[in-house]
Amino acid sequence: MGDQSNSPSSSIDSSSHPALCSPSSIFQTRRDLLSTDLKLGLGLSTSALHGCSSKEREQLSHWPPIKPLLRSTLEEKVHRSHSKTFFVKVYMEGLPIGRKLDLFSHNGYDSLMRTLRRMFRTTITCPDTSRVPPEKAHVLTYEDEEGDWMMVGDVPWEFFLRTVKRLKITRADKC
Amino acid sequence: MTYFPEEVVEHIFDFLGSHRDRNAVSTVCKAWYHVERFSRRNVFVGNCYAIRPERVMARFPGMKSLSVKGKPHFADYNLVPYDWGGFALPWINAAVRRCPGLEDLRLKRMVVTDDDLDLLARSFPNFRSLVLVSCEGFSTDGLAAIATYCRGLRELDLQENEVEDHGRQWLSCFHESCTSLVSLNFACLKGEVNAGVLERLVARCPNLRSLKLNRAVSVESLNEIVARAPYLVDLGTGSFAVDHHTDAYQRLMNSFSKCKSLSSLSGFWEASPHCLDAVYPVCINLTVLNMSYAPAIQADDLIKLISLCFKLQKLWVLDCIGDKGLAVVASTCKELQELRVFPSDIYGAGATSVTEEGLVAISSGCPKLNSLLYFCYQMTNAALITVAKNCPHFTRFRLCILDPWKPDPVTNQPLDEGFGAIVRSCKNLRRLSLSGLLTDQVFLYIGLYAKCLEMLSIAFAGDSDKGMVYILKGCKNLRKLEIRDCPFGDFALLNDVAKYETMRSLWMSSCDVTLGGCKALAAKMPRLNVEIINESEGSDKLEENISDLHKAEKMYVYRTVAGPRNDAPDFVWTL
Repeated sequence: MGDQSNSPSSSIDSSSHPALCSPSSIFQTRRDLLSTDLKLGLGLSTSALHGCSSKEREQLSHWPPIKPLLRSTLEEKVHRSHSKTFFVKVYMEGLPIGRKLDLFSHNGYDSLMRTLRRMFRTTITCPDTSRVPPEKAHVLTYEDEEGDWMMVGDVPWEFFLRTVKRLKITRADKC
Repeated sequence: MTYFPEEVVEHIFDFLGSHRDRNAVSTVCKAWYHVERFSRRNVFVGNCYAIRPERVMARFPGMKSLSVKGKPHFADYNLVPYDWGGFALPWINAAVRRCPGLEDLRLKRMVVTDDDLDLLARSFPNFRSLVLVSCEGFSTDGLAAIATYCRGLRELDLQENEVEDHGRQWLSCFHESCTSLVSLNFACLKGEVNAGVLERLVARCPNLRSLKLNRAVSVESLNEIVARAPYLVDLGTGSFAVDHHTDAYQRLMNSFSKCKSLSSLSGFWEASPHCLDAVYPVCINLTVLNMSYAPAIQADDLIKLISLCFKLQKLWVLDCIGDKGLAVVASTCKELQELRVFPSDIYGAGATSVTEEGLVAISSGCPKLNSLLYFCYQMTNAALITVAKNCPHFTRFRLCILDPWKPDPVTNQPLDEGFGAIVRSCKNLRRLSLSGLLTDQVFLYIGLYAKCLEMLSIAFAGDSDKGMVYILKGCKNLRKLEIRDCPFGDFALLNDVAKYETMRSLWMSSCDVTLGGCKALAAKMPRLNVEIINESEGSDKLEENISDLHKAEKMYVYRTVAGPRNDAPDFVWTL
């Protein structure tokens, strides 16, 4: 929950708000636990919940009130992009030293191609639209989760992100 | 009215659409009761434990269509343990014995097993329509039974159910001679179906108007289907994962442009931004659009889509639409009646989300808006007051501020005045959900002004028992009250026990009611079932030595003429 600590909502001083002057102590503990929980996101950290019963932990996690189908759709999106970065190795044929590239910082194939062209100072083309003779052209391939080397660009970007393990720029006449 | 022959009275009753009206006329006199009960075709049971199935079937022998609801609403948010109850079998059994002419069955939040579905499929020769909403306990094997034995099936509508996948063959069980399908919705299924079987099924059902595919259905298959069913009115697109550079995408665009009747779209599970262009041709006819399962579609693409949807009446989106997107909705969708904005980032800080600005824009741009579900990270009193002034026609107003106890960020005040304005202005408000920082004052307002209110959902609100007392005293039409994490205790619970017989149910969890308070309620009101759900380990029985001062973690109270239920699991204590 990012900047929660700076927003007025989570730092209401109990003395400044009349309604909070005399909450039950259990209620106050629950509030503190819940706002801590929200700060840490729903990955419940055991240190934050020390002293919190398993029941309370369960209660705190039934929020927000959304149905299971939506919840699982959103959780899957989080798991996919849980790290904000996704670095893969990129090799160009003939060069022993590879580079690393963050795929999450790109929103599609066009953006990826532009970055690679800049990184390797070469033209990388989609083989069907190429006007460059095959001996000079390079194409982009990737290794998928099954270990096969595939042409980049055939599947939707989201799919690609799920299966790509590493990239290789090869000469077009090899494909 | 006793001067009229019964056929005339029955004919007059035919004009009564709602269950409530029919219930009302049946209490006028014995003659009307008898005419009404033999002529009732559609029976609605709001709580499966309020009455025994046999009694319902005995009273309405001509029943053709039955709708039953099981678990309390908070079960949708995992607050009710898995085997709490709500079994469909007693209802199906009773119908088998008493109402073999049953045609339609609708079950919501109930446990339905494969055996139940098998029994259902084999027992009712005229069966036409099965609608299961938020149910669980069955697998694709049960669906296979329905497909196999319900010849003449017109509708199979599965909404948000937990269905175990036992393979793809269930769809093949629809016989070659089955051509009667009008509506098929299997969007909630996780497993694959055989594409060829699906396409052939669609092709041989000329009356098919509503088809909602699940995530596993590919775009290639969607293409085939849409090409064979150009008269579809309501489509759930399935995965919609397509690269807009491909031929498949071009074909999709062509197919959609031929769908002149399409007015409702949903699905888009794997849709990525550019592929929405294929849908543009149908936008001008859309009245319903549900993009709430498409987290990859961001504001700009939603805006491009929505700015073509002039006729939109119902819109469900994720909050990545942003205030900017809602402003576009406000200026484009003048026919909008229902808006739902769901959270897209339940773990984060809500960097892309909506605020009170979006809601105010909608309220001023969409004069017909009457139903709202809005998840946001902040709301102000000023905004709510403006919304109340702009939209006095709300019948359903559900606001969920994602941080509990969050006050108005501008004034640091509770949101009592804002919600107060809503209930004061919206005289027809039937359903309300509250959130944010709220004191007892908001409940005073609700009790004072929300005279039509039937369902109220409260979480993390109020200061004292007074809050709950205001509600119970003031809301004359209250039917369902559900409360979680509020400081309401025994005093409020026991203040007006007769009130609960005028309501369908009361749910209180993580409040301050004690076991003793619940026992007192049960003792005073024999026609209420007072159930305690106790989930702590090692307590399977109502121990004598658990003190009455012990807090009741989850309490569910409902009126019933059936007495305590005999299918309650060990962790549910009926007092």
